[in-house]
Amino acid sequence: MALDVGIIRNEIRRLRFEHGEMTQQQLADKIELTRQTVNAIEQGKYSPSLEAAFRIAAVFGKPLESVFRYEQD
Amino acid sequence: MSFREKSAWISVISMAGIYGYYFWSVLRAGPHLGSFHFAGLLATLIALIVVQIVLTIAVAVASPRDARAPRDEREKLIELRATRVAYAGLATSVAMACFFGARDPPIVFNTNSLLLLLVTAELLRSGCQIIQYRRGA
Repeated sequence: MALDVGIIRNEIRRLRFEHGEMTQQQLADKIELTRQTVNAIEQGKYSPSLEAAFRIAAVFGKPLESVFRYEQD
Repeated sequence: MSFREKSAWISVISMAGIYGYYFWSVLRAGPHLGSFHFAGLLATLIALIVVQIVLTIAVAVASPRDARAPRDEREKLIELRATRVAYAGLATSVAMACFFGARDPPIVFNTNSLLLLLVTAELLRSGCQIIQYRRGA
């Protein structure tokens, strides 16, 4: 049986705040994405690749599941 | 607005304006197109290249950091999606041209008709990019 389509939520905004109020541009520079892409990820409009998701988690020193979580409708 | 989105806007505006003027001139000339055809097309292509280069340089000077940065994964995905839509549009219109061209009596498509299909596909591609950038996808 197929799983219902869900949504990927993230804690990037909170984590940025907890890491010295890091800006989207600073995070973007660290993970080699554009600021607009970081903004789209934060708002849940774009799901990053697995590689980008791992890079984001590494910036905050957290495991992947602490940054991203999959929620079913 | 990102550098890539600005580039897509430059593409849409310059192509719509310059090719729009070209096709309007062709329609106005009607059957008396004559020597205007080659010279007009050449002038159109040169104008398009010059306008796009000047506007792209202006945008790059305004935000050099964005301009230097390579395309990231989301921007590449947006380009791929837009190219897929444009290809579907182009393939459909060419297939229709072939269908109508094979009728009896055949409809003959001239250079300008084919150019119009190509320009429309390019406008579709840039337009799709802008829509996706606006939606944040």
